[in-house]
Amino acid sequence: MSFIGDVLSQALQLLSQFGAELREVLWLTLMVSLVATAIGVVVGVPLGTALGLGRFRGRTPLLVAVNTGMGLPPVLAGLLILLLLWSDGPLGSFGILFTPQAMVLAQSLLAIPIAAGVTAGAVGGLSPVAREQLTALGLRRTSAGWIAVREAWPGVAAAVAAAFGRVVSEVGAVLVVGGNIQGETRVLTTAIVEEARQAQFGAALALGIVLMVLALVINGGLTWLQLRERAR
Amino acid sequence: MSRLVVEDLRYPEDGSIVSVARLAVEAGGRLVIFGPNGAGKTTLLRLLAGVLAGGPTIPAAYQPQHSHVFRGSAAWNLGLGLDPEQTAWARTLADRFGLDPALYQGPARALSGGERQRLSLARTLARPEPWVLLDEPLAALDIADRMTVAAALVDSLNGKGAIIVTHDREEAAVLGERLAVMVGGTIVQEGPVAEVFSLPADDRVAKAVGVANVLDGVAGRREGPLCSIRVGSLQVWGVGELDEGAGARVLFGAEAVTLFPGHEAAAGSARNRWPGKVADLRETGRLIEVIVDVGSLIAALITPGSREALKLAPGSPVTLMVKATAVRAVPR
Repeated sequence: MSFIGDVLSQALQLLSQFGAELREVLWLTLMVSLVATAIGVVVGVPLGTALGLGRFRGRTPLLVAVNTGMGLPPVLAGLLILLLLWSDGPLGSFGILFTPQAMVLAQSLLAIPIAAGVTAGAVGGLSPVAREQLTALGLRRTSAGWIAVREAWPGVAAAVAAAFGRVVSEVGAVLVVGGNIQGETRVLTTAIVEEARQAQFGAALALGIVLMVLALVINGGLTWLQLRERAR
Repeated sequence: MSRLVVEDLRYPEDGSIVSVARLAVEAGGRLVIFGPNGAGKTTLLRLLAGVLAGGPTIPAAYQPQHSHVFRGSAAWNLGLGLDPEQTAWARTLADRFGLDPALYQGPARALSGGERQRLSLARTLARPEPWVLLDEPLAALDIADRMTVAAALVDSLNGKGAIIVTHDREEAAVLGERLAVMVGGTIVQEGPVAEVFSLPADDRVAKAVGVANVLDGVAGRREGPLCSIRVGSLQVWGVGELDEGAGARVLFGAEAVTLFPGHEAAAGSARNRWPGKVADLRETGRLIEVIVDVGSLIAALITPGSREALKLAPGSPVTLMVKATAVRAVPR
């Protein structure tokens, strides 16, 4: 038991200091995950709304693609972006491999299907009565989509939370395209991998606790919004 | 704006749910689609509205049977799909339909079913399309308000044409100029509302519009448009073209029957004049249905006041009179 106790006390000590390196890693994690989530929401929520409201050519294959994408292994997403951004690859000329931009790209690839899939479920789950009324209003597609998103808001908030949860917790994609370079592309998850590999368990646990608190704060906020809206 | 004509409308392709050979409404006309549950009325309206694929393209505003309000204020819901000018008009209409303006700033979800229906109706009528398609537009309203809102609705059409689904006779009478009776996915009779109600074309229509008296007999001689039918010991004159000796069925509403006390011939020109005895008296809400045995059992309607004045009870002798032009004779 003294081993766990020692690890815990080390972790708490590191947390109480909250040094520059930890702040840097937290800041980068927050930025990369939030931007990737934002891209996931901006692309995925409209896509999911279109899929949920239904009736257009290519809907079924797209839905299959989205559902499959929800289970895309992060390391594979990382590999795809790696191939694209490699110096000889099609987007190699941008020279952004092993930068936070590359990490955002890879994580967006994970966030988009999650946001789209959960939104499609929420919007598709609107009552037939609501859908019939929406059709009857004779609105342009964008306006109808916006009303559908408002109507299915608790579900759409869950889509945002799921997308954020996916990107903030994954390690494979950011490791492959970011390279876990200290002070440049190291985020909470890759830092945990690094510390654990070097048997720095106190540091690894401290990072883990920060990660959980981050997830708690973001999801807590979204849940609060969800509940508040549901009451209306 | 021109008249609306729809021909050979089938849904699905085999026409098992809706199969309408022809549906025509004059520009600015009001057609009520009437029929029992499951007749295909709503499906027909959804096809016309373009909500179901396979129908014609009609420039029409459509209000589904169940009014749904979306997350947001009542005012926001009222203006959905409308420009500011149309929204102002929708507010005027909502006032006419009795929606309290104090409710506008509150959440739409706090509205009752009747309030939602008034809101939806106002929004639909404020749309610019020259036709409106309304599915049971008064169903969620209190009985006390229904006829007032029905009259306001008719006044608010401003020259627009309307196709309105209902299964209520009173509503149909106020809302419609013409009535199409739908049974089993097809339109079985179409004509002026009063005519369809009083002279159903066959017993499917008779059943759908609630005609009380349906009697089977054999056709006898004809006189112009009229035809006599022998129903047991009873001679019944009605409108119909039937060959002598053919099986016949006579249809007439309880409201077409006039009831006199006693057996002395009363004044009047009615061809059908049958003495009999009261067999039963049934409350129907406002009126009393009197079942009279004249050889066959025939239903008539009287007011509670008449019942008191005539001192009617089972066994009372009465005479029934029915104009031949209010009786439909159809082949059996």
